[in-house]
Amino acid sequence: MSLAAEAFVSQIAAAEPWPENAKLYQPLKDDQILLSDHASSLAVQAYLRMCNLPVQVVCRANAEYMSPSGKVPFIHVGNQVVSELGPIVQFTKAKGHSLSDGLDEVQKAEMKAYMELVNNMLLTAELYIQWCDENTAMEITRPRYSSPYPWPLNHILAYQKQWEVRRKMKAIGWAGKTLEQVLEDMSQCCQALSQRLGTQPYFFNKQPTELDALVFGHLFTILTTQLTSDQLGEKVKNYSNLLSFCRRIEQNYFEDHDKDSLASSSSRFSKGPSLN
Amino acid sequence: MGTVHARSLDPLPMDGPDFGLQGDDAELVEVEPETKQEVLENKDVVVQRVHIDGLGRTKEDLLGYEIADVFGARNLIDVMKKSHEAREKLLRLGIFRQVEVVIDTSEGEDALPNGLDVTFEVTELRRLTGSYNTMVGNNEGSMVLGLKLPNLFGRAEKLTFQFSYGTKETSYGLSFFKPQPGQFERNFSLNLYKVTGQFPWSSLRETDRGISTEINFPIWRTNHSLKWEGVWRELGCLARTASFAVREESGHSLKSSLSVSSSCSAAGWASGGTADTVKQRESTRETEQASCTFVNELSEQNNLETLLDLFLVTITVLRFIVCNISTSAACYLVRFYLGGPTSVRGFSMYSIGPQSEGDYLGGEAYWAGGVHLYTPLPFRPGRGGFGDLFRTHFFLNAGNLCNLNYGEGPRAHLQRLAECIRWSYGAGIVLRLGNIARLELNYCVPMGAQSGDRICDGVQFGAGIRFL
Repeated sequence: MSLAAEAFVSQIAAAEPWPENAKLYQPLKDDQILLSDHASSLAVQAYLRMCNLPVQVVCRANAEYMSPSGKVPFIHVGNQVVSELGPIVQFTKAKGHSLSDGLDEVQKAEMKAYMELVNNMLLTAELYIQWCDENTAMEITRPRYSSPYPWPLNHILAYQKQWEVRRKMKAIGWAGKTLEQVLEDMSQCCQALSQRLGTQPYFFNKQPTELDALVFGHLFTILTTQLTSDQLGEKVKNYSNLLSFCRRIEQNYFEDHDKDSLASSSSRFSKGPSLN
Repeated sequence: MGTVHARSLDPLPMDGPDFGLQGDDAELVEVEPETKQEVLENKDVVVQRVHIDGLGRTKEDLLGYEIADVFGARNLIDVMKKSHEAREKLLRLGIFRQVEVVIDTSEGEDALPNGLDVTFEVTELRRLTGSYNTMVGNNEGSMVLGLKLPNLFGRAEKLTFQFSYGTKETSYGLSFFKPQPGQFERNFSLNLYKVTGQFPWSSLRETDRGISTEINFPIWRTNHSLKWEGVWRELGCLARTASFAVREESGHSLKSSLSVSSSCSAAGWASGGTADTVKQRESTRETEQASCTFVNELSEQNNLETLLDLFLVTITVLRFIVCNISTSAACYLVRFYLGGPTSVRGFSMYSIGPQSEGDYLGGEAYWAGGVHLYTPLPFRPGRGGFGDLFRTHFFLNAGNLCNLNYGEGPRAHLQRLAECIRWSYGAGIVLRLGNIARLELNYCVPMGAQSGDRICDGVQFGAGIRFL
C-alpha cells in the first residue's frame, strides 16, 4: 500500500470513536519486561488513563516483534496498530482526545523540549544501566530478556540485543561514559524536572499533559524496580516534589480504577517503600 | 598428473570349473598368436589387473569397492559389461570429470595367456569449482554464486557453499556430504543455512537459520532417510498493514524436528505428462518450542494411460496435520496453502481458504486433485523438433483447504473437506523445460469460489517444478 493510501486509511480510522476493546501490548509482566520497557508502557497507560480512554493490557512474549516499530508498548485499536507514546498521542488527538489543547504555543514547545529531555536522558540512562553495566546485564537484563526462549536461542537473542544497544550508545557518544557519569546526568535531569515542577501539582499547573504521563512512567518505574544496586532510585528520592508527583498520579489515575487489570499491574510496583 | 594404481588378483582362482577349458585356450593361443583377439572374444578370460590412471588426491581404497566387480568377469562380454558398470559407478561418485575404459591383453612376466588388463583413465575434477547463475521466481530475481570442493579428503566427500543475492533477500548455505566407501547410496550430510523468504499472500517474512543432518540408506529397492533439523525461525510482517492475526505470529522460535521418509520410484518421465509412479510416505514429528507436536501424512499417486498420442494423467494429493497437541493453533508456516497456477488453477497463488484482512492464513488439511488430457499441438508445427516440447492440455482441478477441529474425529474431518469444494477447468499450452520445469499458459474458469478466495478468471501463467 502506498504512503498516501496508508495515510488515507489512518484518517478514516481516526474518525471512528475509541472502541471498548482497545488493547495495549507489552512483554510478560513478571518474568520478561525490562525497566525501560516497563517505563514506556506505564507512560502510555498513564496517558490513556488521563485521557479517560479504556485499554486492556495484554502481555505477550513476542510483543517487541509484533510492534510495527520494534518498540514496546503498542496499542491495537480497531484495526490500527500504533506504537510508542509520541505516535499514540498523535493518534488519540486525531480521534479528538488531547491533553495539551489548553496550552499556548510557547507551553507546547516547552512541553516538547522536556519530553525530549526525558527521552534523551532518563530513557538512555535506563538503557545504559540495563545493557552496558555488565553486572546488571548479566544478573538481571539478559536472563529476563531471554526468559521466554529455549536454549540456545535465549543467549543468541540476549547478546544480539545487547550488541544493538551498545552500538546505539556508541553512536550517541555514551559508550565511553562510566556509571557515575550516567548517574550524574540522570541526577541533573531530575533536578531540571524538579525545578520546572516546583510546587505545582502537574508540570502545567492543574491539568496533566503527556509530559506528566511520560515523567510518571519513568520515575515510578525507577523508584519501584529493584536492580543490582539502589543508586538509580536514590537519585530520584533526593527530589521530594517528584516523589509526591508520582504518588499523586498513582492515586488519581491508578488506585481509583482497581477493577481494571492495569491497577493490579501497578499495585505490585506500588509496594515500593518510597510511595507508601 | 597421476600415479598409476594397479590392483591385481593373482594367482587366479584355481578352483573354478572352467579350469580345464582355460588350459585349452592357452594352447590355442600358443598355436595361433595372431588371432589372439578373436579367440578371446569367444573364450573365457581372466582379468589380471585393473589400472586406474590419472589419480591425484583420490584415495585408492574408495575405488577398490567400485571396481571390484570387474575381477569377477569370466568372459570378454562380461568384462566389457562390468567395466561399463564400473565406469558408471565411478562417474556417479561425482569426483571425476571423465572416465575412459581401455581393455587390453596382459603383458609382463606373470601374464597369463588369457589374462586381461583393464585400465580406467580418469580425469579428476579440480579442487575448487565455482558456478554462478541467475534465478527468477517468487516476485524476486536473484543471483546465485556457488563454490564446490569435490572430493575434499579423497573419499568422495563434498563441501558446497551457495550464496544467493536477491533483489529482496539474501540467503546462503554450507553443506558437507560424505558417502560410505563402497556404498554411495548410504551417505551422510550436514547442512548449515540461512534462508529468507517473503510470502506476500500472507504478508509474512520469514528468516530461517538452521542446521540439519541427514542419513540416507537403501533397503532392498527402497530409499530411506532420517533427518534431524534444528531451526531458529524469525517471523516478521511485510508491511504495517499486515493483519493482526499475522502480526501475532511475529518473533523468534526454535524448532527441532525429526523426519523419516521413504520412497521408491519406478519408471521415468514420459514426454507428455508425468508417467512417474511415486509413492511417498513421510511422517514428521516436530516440536515447536515443546508446545506444538504434529505429524504430516502425504500420499501421492500419478497414473498415466496412453491412448494413441493422448496422455491422460490424474494426480491426487492429500495432506493433513494428523494431530496438534498444542494450546495455540499451529503457526502459519507449518500450515498448508492451496491455489495458484501450479495447484488449483484459476485461483491466485495460495489464495484459497481462511483469511484475515486479505492475508491468507492457510489450513490444517487440504486435498487436491487434477485430471489432464495432453495432446500434441494442433496442426503440429515444429514436429520432430522444437514443437515436441509443447503440448496442449485440458484440465480439471479440484481441491479444498480447511481447518480441522481435532475433537470431532475423522468422519467430521472428511465431511469438512468435502464441503465447499473449489474447482476449475480450462485449457492451455504446456512447455516442458529439460524434463524438470514446466511453463503453462492457461485459460481458466474457476468454479466454487468461496467468499475471501482470490480468483484469477481468464488467462493465467504458471511456472514451476511440481504441478498438479
